[in-house]
Amino acid sequence: MLVKMFKATVQRVSTSALKISQNRKSENFHSVLIMIPHGRCCLSTSSCLYGKILPRKKPRVVHEIAGLEPITYADRMHFVPGLAKPKFPPWERGWKEPNHYQSPKLEDMPLYKDKPCYIFNQRTNVLEGVRQALWLSKSVLIKGFPDQILTLAEDPANQIENQDERVQNAIKSSRLWDTTEHRPPRERFCPSLLNGLLHLCGGLQVTHPELAKRILAEKYSLAATWRRGEDVFQVRGQNGWLLNSMTPLPVLAGQEQIQSTADQALETFYPIAPTIDLQNTHVYQEKNDTGFREDYPYPHAHTLFLMEMGNAPKLLPEQLRAKMVMFTFGNALARAQALYGKEPSVLEKPIVVQSVATNGRLFQFVVFQLNTTDLQSDSGVKNLVWVDEDQPLYEFAKVKPLIKKKVVQVPAGLSGYQPDTFKKFLALYLHGAV
Amino acid sequence: MASCSRLPLHPFLCSVSVRLACNRNVQVEASTAKSLYPPILPSRTAKSKSAKRRVVTEHFEQLRSCTAQEKIRALTRVQRKKYVIYPQTFALNADRWYQHYTKTAFLNGLPEKYDPAPAVDESVLSEARDVVCSSILQQHWHAMKGRTFTQKEQEQLVSPFLRNAVCGLKNLLAKENPVLSLSSLDFDPQVSYYWLRAERTIPEGHRRGRVEPMRFQIEDKPHSQIRIPHQLPQFVPLEAEISAEVPIITLAPDLLPLFRRQYDNNIFIGAKLEDPCCYGHTQFHVVPERFRRDKMSKRGLSDQVELSLRASAIASLFAWTGAQAMYQGFWSEEDVSRPFVSQAVITDGQFFSFFCYQLNTLALSPRADCNNSRKNVCWGTESIQLYERITDGDIVGLNDTVLRLLLQFLLNNAQC
Repeated sequence: MLVKMFKATVQRVSTSALKISQNRKSENFHSVLIMIPHGRCCLSTSSCLYGKILPRKKPRVVHEIAGLEPITYADRMHFVPGLAKPKFPPWERGWKEPNHYQSPKLEDMPLYKDKPCYIFNQRTNVLEGVRQALWLSKSVLIKGFPDQILTLAEDPANQIENQDERVQNAIKSSRLWDTTEHRPPRERFCPSLLNGLLHLCGGLQVTHPELAKRILAEKYSLAATWRRGEDVFQVRGQNGWLLNSMTPLPVLAGQEQIQSTADQALETFYPIAPTIDLQNTHVYQEKNDTGFREDYPYPHAHTLFLMEMGNAPKLLPEQLRAKMVMFTFGNALARAQALYGKEPSVLEKPIVVQSVATNGRLFQFVVFQLNTTDLQSDSGVKNLVWVDEDQPLYEFAKVKPLIKKKVVQVPAGLSGYQPDTFKKFLALYLHGAV
Repeated sequence: MASCSRLPLHPFLCSVSVRLACNRNVQVEASTAKSLYPPILPSRTAKSKSAKRRVVTEHFEQLRSCTAQEKIRALTRVQRKKYVIYPQTFALNADRWYQHYTKTAFLNGLPEKYDPAPAVDESVLSEARDVVCSSILQQHWHAMKGRTFTQKEQEQLVSPFLRNAVCGLKNLLAKENPVLSLSSLDFDPQVSYYWLRAERTIPEGHRRGRVEPMRFQIEDKPHSQIRIPHQLPQFVPLEAEISAEVPIITLAPDLLPLFRRQYDNNIFIGAKLEDPCCYGHTQFHVVPERFRRDKMSKRGLSDQVELSLRASAIASLFAWTGAQAMYQGFWSEEDVSRPFVSQAVITDGQFFSFFCYQLNTLALSPRADCNNSRKNVCWGTESIQLYERITDGDIVGLNDTVLRLLLQFLLNNAQC
């Protein structure tokens, strides 16, 4: 017995020595050595700094001998050397305790399916950006703004009086005037800028009474499922603010343009899989839901407003545009499936959803037209996406001037205001009401 | 060393003393005669009360000629410990205390302008009803949501409803009230006001025994507010007799309780001075979760519901209106020459209460308050129920009185 114990100790020591020698080879070890004060017992750090990582003890293998029942210390109610450790059945609490809830295994869950589902949610950061979103939604990209909407923007009847001045005031009030501090953080000025612009656009209800048929929904939850090739895809969860409307948006591309998309090939990005960076799960529900009940008086999604806040944004502009495409597609698809059923088909009346995303300075505009819900194959009619990227509303909004080498590079206040960006914003807002 | 000797005090006190009689004559002559020399002022640097008084007076004289920005900067520059008032407070009977601190008389009911309830167009009323109903139902019924997170119900149900209702009504009424289309609408703005009121004797420390004014700071965060570029008309004239009295509280504010903190003194209406929309129109407040009607009655405080609403309205409206007046260059030594007016609506989603505030005086500091007969006025209604309950997809018992009041508040027109 003693010999055995000694052997075990020797083995343990030798393994730890082995670990140390392994560690020494690694670069980490050097830094670890620096951290150890010489000849001092450093109680505030853990033993791992000294290389004293003991390997976890292997649990002793207890052989079960058939026909023999081990004698346990269960009836003695305390540990007795030489007797076996009793095994009790797991204790059932009898009520649901949320703090000690143990979920069943994934395989045992009722929603478990063998076929995985790829889910796009609001945090998904897809590698390939818009290209990947186009493949997933089977769409064709058109750069720039649709002409019908652009003409809306140019019409002077659709403009606010003193438009430029009021927009600049809105920008200044969100960027410069909003706080008692020097400058508001991006988390604050991004929504307040969007609110200010929406407030300005809402003022046009005096001349366009159709604008009254809109309502903004803040935290709605979307679910749309579709099949693409062999795989199942979903767009799920909360995203931005959704402006809902009583009337659907007019169709942007005519039948000819829709039919011509059948000839265009979808861009692939082999060897990268199109499902890269999507959440892969086996436990899912195939759900199609716009987030609102059927008797909702504002059933048509009009514009989706997304914000990318924070000074270190999670999504780069390209990925943000992909998110916009995916969520406009999800909204349109959920609406189409609510209207025309789940059978994939080419829609008689395409569904149009718009989206605006901002980080407080740059604006991204996306208009999505859902022509078909038949997404299984790569051939046939495709959907259409107009993307207008990286439109700055202004160049700089500075509280203090930027001075380099005693020369004012950027003056304090708002500079480089670009009225065209707001015109586009306004045109998207007015679309469907004029 | 020169020995310190005491002169007898008696000759100075004796009024028949030759020296005093002589002096008195000199002064009488000097005042009647045309003075040849400039008046003798107390020293500016001596350690005396008159010297301190002179420094303060000169500083105030100099402030009068400054711009509003410099005035606010000068008045809020020095940080000391101050009582911080949060309008929505757990304190019992806080409204009387707040009335005292803001010198506000409270009148039940709305001002005469609203009292006979000016007629609202029926078509506008029905459109407004649609807007309010659809925004309530969107939150409570149409949006498919799970159970709300605990203690977050107001945030998830009431504030989106209020947001949609305010935006919808504002866009709807812009036709009738052109000021609204020039307005600016803030969500979650910061409103703060700092002022001096009453005096206290410093109880301990090296300045023990001295008398100093108490400093107050209100920090408020309304749900939303509408600011306009022109001023709202007054409800009553500036010097009108107000029947209600301002209650006087002799107890220390610590007993309310209020707590003292030290940080930046802020005077802020929700935008900096450069903003052209520098006058207030209407504020909308949401009652926080813990002061909801049902939770208050669960705690046995159902009699405090109206009082806390009133307290919150007085504090937040005083802060907002006072800050607007400061932005126009008025302060405690230069009292307002025209009254400032703003309105507030406080709601917990189901119950609405309406408040109007008229700021008649900013002279609240002990120095300026001695002969000031003006007082601020706050009008307020009890809370009125908007609807009884929500069944599946329908609102039962919608109360048109609330809608009418809401419309009247938003239709209040400014002097262009």
